[in-house]
Amino acid sequence: MTDTSAIAPGLKKSVLLKIRDLKIDGYTGETWVPIIKGVDLTLHRGEVMGLIGESGAGKSTIGAAAMGYARDGTRINPGSSIEFDGIELTTSTEADKRALRGSRIAYVAQSAAASFNPSHKLIDQHTEAPVHYRIKKRMEAQEDAIELYERLRLPNPGEIGFRYPHQVSGGQLQRAMTAMAMSCRPDLIIFDEPTTALDVTTQIEVLAAIRDIVDQFNTAAIYITHDLAVVAQMADTIKVLLKGEEVEQQSTEKMLASPKEEYTKSLWAVRSFERPQKARPKDATPLISVKNIDASYTGGEKVLDDVSFDIYPGMTVAVVGESGSGKSTTARVITGLLPPSKGEVLFKGEPLPPKYTDRSKDQLRQAQMIYQMADTALNPKVRISEIIGRPAQFYSGLKGTALKSRVDELLDLIELEPSKYYDRFPPELSGGQKQRIGIARALAAEPTFIICDEVTSALDQLVAEGILKLLDRLQSELDLAYMFITHDLATVRAIADEVVVMQHGKVVEQGPKEEMFTPPHHPYTDLLLSSVPEMDPNWLTTLLEERGVDNVGEAADV
Amino acid sequence: MGLFVILYFAFLIIASCLAAFYEKRSVFLMIFSLTMVSFVLGIVGGAGALRFVAITAAVLAFAAGISYAFKEFLIAIAPRNAAKELKTAPLTAAFGMFVIFTYAIAGIFAPWIAPHGESEVISSAFAPADANMLLGADQLGRDMFSRIIYGARNTVGLALLATLAAFFMGALAGLLAAVKGGWFDQFMGRFADVIMSIPSLIFALLMLSIFGPQIIVIICAVAIIYAPRVFRLTRAVAGNVVVMDYIEAAKLRGEGDWYLIRREILPNSTAPLVAEFGLEFCFVFLLVAGLSFLGLGIQPPTADWGSMVRENATLISFGDITPLIPAAAIALLTVAVNFVVDWMLWRSSGLKEM
Repeated sequence: MTDTSAIAPGLKKSVLLKIRDLKIDGYTGETWVPIIKGVDLTLHRGEVMGLIGESGAGKSTIGAAAMGYARDGTRINPGSSIEFDGIELTTSTEADKRALRGSRIAYVAQSAAASFNPSHKLIDQHTEAPVHYRIKKRMEAQEDAIELYERLRLPNPGEIGFRYPHQVSGGQLQRAMTAMAMSCRPDLIIFDEPTTALDVTTQIEVLAAIRDIVDQFNTAAIYITHDLAVVAQMADTIKVLLKGEEVEQQSTEKMLASPKEEYTKSLWAVRSFERPQKARPKDATPLISVKNIDASYTGGEKVLDDVSFDIYPGMTVAVVGESGSGKSTTARVITGLLPPSKGEVLFKGEPLPPKYTDRSKDQLRQAQMIYQMADTALNPKVRISEIIGRPAQFYSGLKGTALKSRVDELLDLIELEPSKYYDRFPPELSGGQKQRIGIARALAAEPTFIICDEVTSALDQLVAEGILKLLDRLQSELDLAYMFITHDLATVRAIADEVVVMQHGKVVEQGPKEEMFTPPHHPYTDLLLSSVPEMDPNWLTTLLEERGVDNVGEAADV
Repeated sequence: MGLFVILYFAFLIIASCLAAFYEKRSVFLMIFSLTMVSFVLGIVGGAGALRFVAITAAVLAFAAGISYAFKEFLIAIAPRNAAKELKTAPLTAAFGMFVIFTYAIAGIFAPWIAPHGESEVISSAFAPADANMLLGADQLGRDMFSRIIYGARNTVGLALLATLAAFFMGALAGLLAAVKGGWFDQFMGRFADVIMSIPSLIFALLMLSIFGPQIIVIICAVAIIYAPRVFRLTRAVAGNVVVMDYIEAAKLRGEGDWYLIRREILPNSTAPLVAEFGLEFCFVFLLVAGLSFLGLGIQPPTADWGSMVRENATLISFGDITPLIPAAAIALLTVAVNFVVDWMLWRSSGLKEM
């Protein structure tokens, strides 16, 4: 059911990958449950197709199936057909499929850090495939690797390959992985969320590099992501998936301009949530006041350098910056996990003891945290009722029915049905629900101040929007102050009242949101702002022209 | 060619034809290779060898059948959650559970099951088996079968107590070390190193010769020998849990160490600890049996498998297998426990989840 009209005329080339009626089942311990329910996909040579959808939509499963691979615990249904360049993958032997993978079909994983073998040098891992398939001799392959590194604009292309994965930054590693995928000049590369784990500034350089190299070698690619703005830059065609079924497929321009299905429209509308900005209350003492904080981890360099900012009651302060800029360390200082080496934290004008062990129960109760990874933030072996009930029991001494009604009340507050979730365990919940439980646990302490550490970055956009709306509602109902740590400026735009921009452990710029989003900016703020992908398919091209190709990401001059 | 040989081959050939017809590939390959091996075996070893193969197969089938039935029995009587877990158990684990269950019954109800008393002399020394004595008599004329039954109670009970004590000490120290960290962690770690640096058997012999071979001394000595291993494992497992955000959240809430250990860490480290318990139990069991064999363990006339092997060892020279029976009892229990532990390790390793 390929809509051939959806492909731009210039790209109309021979078909490389043809998937028909793909059905994949997953094993749940007792029965096989369908994950992919009959998806068709046609990919031409040199075409880039974007697969988007929420987590659980089956994007990665389809990506793996394009290599004829079913992950552990899944199986490809016999009726499906996966034809790669005339070879039917569902019926070919494991040895045949293995010969294709790496040489003609390559895969770029989400986490390059986890996918490289930490005990081999980059270039040795790069040359493994071409040497194994006897496409090139080792020295030839090395020279080729260096050339690819150069094309991907990695710094010191001649030398970087001889480093170990941990000696290279995240964005560089992701580019090295793309180079590795290119090593055999495959016909098809599958990119499985290659930039999801990266900062906006680093993301740009990887996107630009991937796009260039795919263009240069006319490689076909399947680009899997949940970020629409990213897929708009990369793909010729976009396919939207929902729960293992195709929603619609269109060329990128058409899809962005006029989505047909309701679901697609709702995906497009996600970034529209915005809340009116609040001004600081006059003559009020700040709820939390961070004063000239210096901090470092044991024996290390200074991570925070003279950080000061105020948070007023009922307001949201967003702390933005790339990873390593000291955002989370600031949160650790405020909570008392990391005592500062200089400066102090004031709570309602009173200094807080620097170590959390020295704080009183009431001081601990006032400041709560919501974590990025709900998976690690909720104990998987403890029931929801206890996770939420424990703070209430611990701080307010509630017992028996009073405790139960308090838990019910909190579950109501986070829009989860109490009778249904009361006795469940965290692994039985979805990511968004887990994050809601995390919020309820923070609320159970009846705090006045909550630190939200990247609460939405691990979630899909639709779910993230729900969480943001919930946080906003709770703020107005309970008069909470939020410190919102994030690197996603769309989130900042949606929920913040004030913005603090951090770089290298220093506060670069701070002020009310509207001021921060209107020029003139500090150069670093400007870099951050302009690096946020936009829905315009030509955004990346324009940006690269403006900045110059060699002036993106880490190389950008601030 | 006897009737048995004809039936033997007829059965194998019909079974392999059926397997091939119903496209059970692995079953067919197994049965047919057995058929071809049997041709050679039959020529070399005659009907005796074939009979041996048939008996082995029958014993295996019997064990598999009883394991399967026992597993289904457990699933039927267990509560729903436990039943779901039990369904994932392989036949080997079911067999292990069955053996452990049998030993437990024998140990608990020993006085009622055993036909004679533990130290009751009822016949002449080394009397052969008869209707009264299932396995014959030992070197003093006591019923071997009754002593094996009582031995289950004494040896297994002692090993169980010693393992429990080792786990209690080791796990508690490991959890505390993981939670507290700092100098306490260092001190406990080095202390464990010191104990581990002393060869275990020599340590046990030393303790037993100083304090005398009493039950309580054996338990303490064995517990001290094995506690450091448990400590190390617990500390490593708990160390992985302690860095989680939910522990940080609980610490920031102001929870004490005891709450952290009891409610947050322990539920997340039980699976590897239970698996380790099974393994350590085997080692402890073998150490206790070894001590008894050396004459420093459980003292006569109390029945004990290790000392029973030693006391009847002379019979080996006469080609009698009686002394091997308590040894086989030890081996069977060790294998059974390991079968169950393998299953638990597989469950806790998360291999089943993708």
